[in-house]
Amino acid sequence: MTLAQDPHLPTSAVAGDETTISTSGNGQAILYLVGPGVASKREISLGEDIHLPSRELQNAGRYVVSVCSDACRSGSFYVAAAEPASLTFLVHPSRVPVGLSDAISGVALPFDPFHNLVRVPMAITFQLTSGKTAMMSRSVQTQDGVAWFRTSSGKDAGVLHVVAAVDELSARRAVQQVASEPCNLRIKGQRTPKAILVETEPVRDCSGNPVPDGTIVTFTAAEADGKSTVDAPIKQGVARAQIIVTKAAVISAASGVVMGNELRLGAQP
Amino acid sequence: MSTAEGYSRPIPLLAIVLVALAVHGPLLLMQLPAGSFDTNFHIFFASHYVHHWFDPWNEKWFAGFSQTTYPPLTHQWIALLSNVVGLKMGYMLVQLIAVLLLPVGVFRFARIWVDERAASYAALGSVFLGALAFLVYQAGQLATVASAALYLNALPYFYEWMTEASGRSLIKGIAISWTAAAAHHVTLIFGLVLFAGPVLWVACIDARDERVAASTTGALSRAIVFAIVVGLGVGAVLGPYWLSILQHPIHQVPIPHDSRANLLLNSITAVNYFVIPYGALILALPFILMRGASLRRLRPLLLGFWLTFIFGLGGTTPLPRWLLGRAYEILTFERFTFWATLMAMPIVGLLAADLLDRFRAKAAVGLSLAAVMTIGAALTWLTANPYRPAGSVNVDSVVAFLNRDGHDTYRYLTLGFGSELAKVSTYTNATSVDGDYNSARLLPEMTHYGAAQLTNAKFYGSAGMGALRGMLDHANRYGLKYIFVHDAYYEPLLTFVGWRKVDTFNNGEITAWSKDDVPPAHKIVSDAVPPAWQGLLWGTLPIGVSLLALFLELFLPGGRRMPVPVEISAPAEEHYVA
Amino acid sequence: MRFALPILLVAVTVGLIAAALFGVGQAGGTVGIAAGSALPGLTPNAGTPEQALANLFTDLQRRNWNRAFAALSKTSGVDEPSFIQDWAGANGSLRTFSNLEGYDSRPLHATSDDAQVRVRLHWATPVGPVEDVRDFHLTHEGDGWKVVWPKVEAPTVPAQVVPVTYLRWDLISGGAEDGWGSRNVDSPHVRIISMNAVESAEGSVVMGEVVNEDTIPAFVNVNAALVDGSGNAIDDESSFDKIAHVLLPKQVSPYRIDFPNINLKNVKNVRMDVKATLVPASADPVIGVMDQKLDPDVQGKSVLHGELLNQSGQTVNIPHVIASFYDSNGKVVWVADGYVDRSLLPQTSEPFAVEIPRTLAGKVQTFHVVVNQYSLGKS
Repeated sequence: MTLAQDPHLPTSAVAGDETTISTSGNGQAILYLVGPGVASKREISLGEDIHLPSRELQNAGRYVVSVCSDACRSGSFYVAAAEPASLTFLVHPSRVPVGLSDAISGVALPFDPFHNLVRVPMAITFQLTSGKTAMMSRSVQTQDGVAWFRTSSGKDAGVLHVVAAVDELSARRAVQQVASEPCNLRIKGQRTPKAILVETEPVRDCSGNPVPDGTIVTFTAAEADGKSTVDAPIKQGVARAQIIVTKAAVISAASGVVMGNELRLGAQP
Repeated sequence: MSTAEGYSRPIPLLAIVLVALAVHGPLLLMQLPAGSFDTNFHIFFASHYVHHWFDPWNEKWFAGFSQTTYPPLTHQWIALLSNVVGLKMGYMLVQLIAVLLLPVGVFRFARIWVDERAASYAALGSVFLGALAFLVYQAGQLATVASAALYLNALPYFYEWMTEASGRSLIKGIAISWTAAAAHHVTLIFGLVLFAGPVLWVACIDARDERVAASTTGALSRAIVFAIVVGLGVGAVLGPYWLSILQHPIHQVPIPHDSRANLLLNSITAVNYFVIPYGALILALPFILMRGASLRRLRPLLLGFWLTFIFGLGGTTPLPRWLLGRAYEILTFERFTFWATLMAMPIVGLLAADLLDRFRAKAAVGLSLAAVMTIGAALTWLTANPYRPAGSVNVDSVVAFLNRDGHDTYRYLTLGFGSELAKVSTYTNATSVDGDYNSARLLPEMTHYGAAQLTNAKFYGSAGMGALRGMLDHANRYGLKYIFVHDAYYEPLLTFVGWRKVDTFNNGEITAWSKDDVPPAHKIVSDAVPPAWQGLLWGTLPIGVSLLALFLELFLPGGRRMPVPVEISAPAEEHYVA
Repeated sequence: MRFALPILLVAVTVGLIAAALFGVGQAGGTVGIAAGSALPGLTPNAGTPEQALANLFTDLQRRNWNRAFAALSKTSGVDEPSFIQDWAGANGSLRTFSNLEGYDSRPLHATSDDAQVRVRLHWATPVGPVEDVRDFHLTHEGDGWKVVWPKVEAPTVPAQVVPVTYLRWDLISGGAEDGWGSRNVDSPHVRIISMNAVESAEGSVVMGEVVNEDTIPAFVNVNAALVDGSGNAIDDESSFDKIAHVLLPKQVSPYRIDFPNINLKNVKNVRMDVKATLVPASADPVIGVMDQKLDPDVQGKSVLHGELLNQSGQTVNIPHVIASFYDSNGKVVWVADGYVDRSLLPQTSEPFAVEIPRTLAGKVQTFHVVVNQYSLGKS
């Protein structure tokens, strides 16, 4: 029972494909196969080809083969990832104000059917579409299985579709582009029997996008000896509040860092 | 046997025990005490012994506490029986055994003072005591009842040892005293003064009057021997308890309890802690006073009864506070009322005998009605009492929630669950920062406020809500992520301090609240963890002494020759008919 | 002995009971919510204004409404239902959850026929102890003093239709089976815009303001850890109820974190940590803060007071006011809060008051008030 030479290993193997190891000599021996997530042992007949089934080679990486009879001989071979079967695509953030530079980033990682990262360089196409307008289309070569992009947000609020594609595969994500800080906050007032009803004109950012409903606008009525405030949310583009004012007062509005115009009211008779 | 003879003969003890079984057996098998204040607490303790007999450290309450802070005997017996009948029925069986032992104990105790006939009436009367029904069905004070029953059984041996120097009595008395201590320490401590004191006194009287063979000095010296041996044994049997109490004396802010209130200033409290426990015995109080004072041998018992009676009145008199000092704020006083009724029973037995002698069937009917109405009123009070335990909450959904999806990696709290907190704790794997045993609390958020369980925080006013706020403030520290609310009272606080409702159970009866940024619970380091040797002692000695007492009682027979007190019949003009 | 001992025991018992009744040794307190009443003949006679008030408060604590109402003067301007509602609250307000725990009274003036007594009422509430100062007028009627209960002006809301543009955010969380890469929605972007650490009478306080910079509501908690010179954490606490936890887009909330019994001199560094999560929320109700003024109150304390105006069509059961106070440089020098014990009915207003420490009163130049709220069934 002798093992004449080292086992003859395949020069290249692909995850999920069968492969064969040949040995020389005669008699019985034990074959050990150790790879990423795999360890097996079997009896073999020296001098015959040993068939490694696909289920033992599903994980990409380096595999070590040892054949032991009276002595052990070892060798290793590398199993590469198969063709991409899925694309993992991370896009950040999920929500972004318009007009912000380098605010959106995405990372794509191709994986084969056995969840091995495909490290062979390949071109991944990133496409950003806002409504019907194509904002960006860029082909990026993967480096060590990773391709990424960074870009600025657009000018229009709404859903930004981001697609990463390689060959027939694609992954789609959505980024909500939201209005930026309010711009040119303007208010108007109207006396009612009980109070002053103040409301903003439709609140928009500097790109003309309506500021999202729910955004707080703070109305302040400053009188000589005190003040009244109302934190009112924007609803259907407009924020409104009632303020009880009995003396001369200055009413103003603010949202975030933006101040609006002022209304000056005389004392109520 | 003529009817007249029937009224003048003692009732056989076996018949009395069967009456106790007939009265309390069905009530316990119906699991009536399941809704009491403390039943779930006892079952919770027992459930720990089921799984960790030799490890008294329990992580499920107060982020970890030692069960050596409470005598284990009744819980260990429940744990043993639970292997056959389950925890709840195990509790009921242990409670039933205690209830059956009580008339036996009352009979034996009464025999020290009165003849066999009066003693048998006393024992029969004890079956119907309002205080007993109160403790068993409303308070759920299993250990108090069990320990009192055992202690009453031990006292006649103590008397025999003092007066007859009987070695068998010494051995049995000591074994039963140790067992009583293993069931409940407080009963033993106060029993020494309130029960054993009068017995010692009457032994000295009997010795001086040469009614017994012993001399006064002999009786006293044997009492000292008895006390020393019992003391040493209790020190060993409850060793881990004493060590834990020495290591962590109870320094927490006093927790208010209604039994410490002045009964005259609150009618409902008066009904709860006086009218219901005493029942028809209130009518017998003048007789107890007069007859107890008229017979020299009964005077020690009368004085013991009076002192216990005064203690049972709680804050109605300042005496308990004066005598107990700081302990006054730790103790609850309904147990004193129970003991007072037990001490009154021998004299009440005399009253029953007098009435039966004089009025025969009419007296029998009257006494029977009084007894039945006393226990009936106590059972009715279970539903009429405005302080009754909150209605039973179905906690199955809470338990299921905590036991799934890794929720038990966090701690939880219940609010408005009353004694059902212990039920949740028994059946969930998750741990809580709350608990239903005041003396085991070491977390500063709880000990710095005069409030008991967090689940009942609102009943303790600002102190209770202060403790709850303190705990919620440190939710992240304790990994407290889930709160189950069964009382909308707590919802405003939870809302304002940053908790959100995440689920509802039982058609909205219970709501689950959560806080997002809470990390998983980690072990809270404590110096109260008992070492392994204490766990070994705790798992062997208490149950061991109870088995020893059982063995001695069964296999070491010894007849008791109680002195038949002279002049037990009052002169005809001194009948007191209530 | 046959008679002497029973007589002695009865006498001692009666003596002990009398000692407890008349204050020797003081009987223990009862558990929070009391009920029942004293046995007949044991209620002290209302021979003084203070005793009349004490009797009234005892009955009110025990919710003996009939007895309490009977103790009022005939000149009182209330009927029994209004009196009960005034005391016990209505509409799920904080008062409906509260119990009177104690009180301190101080006579303001007294003649043989009438008296004025100022009472500081200590309430136990779900949100902690609340104090309320109230002046009572008493008159001498018959053989005792009676309390004159003022007429109760309950807010009335006329029948009306309030149009509401209902705005809320719902949250759909990704399932556990979602693959890597298809993540949930990002957490809201929240920022601490100011922080100040000061020493107070109770210890150290860290306070400031936090803003939701995002376009969605945020559930916010601010935590702080105090670090000593060696880099060891001394204590960590959270903003607890001194913050509005749900912040709408662009909303600013004050926060205050108390560190009881910690001396600021031992603190080298403060580590701040703001946690924001995405939650379902509603933009309603809108509560205006009218007529805000910083004035001294009757006791000379500096108090920010004003009126909360409910501008929505729903009842706000428990309003909570949080105010930040700024010095002349715009720095937050104090954050204080207070709960309003009356509910805010739709389109009505209720007064509020928030106290600031006497030592800071001189520094405060301006303030900002945020209103937080609890509405039954909407948490």
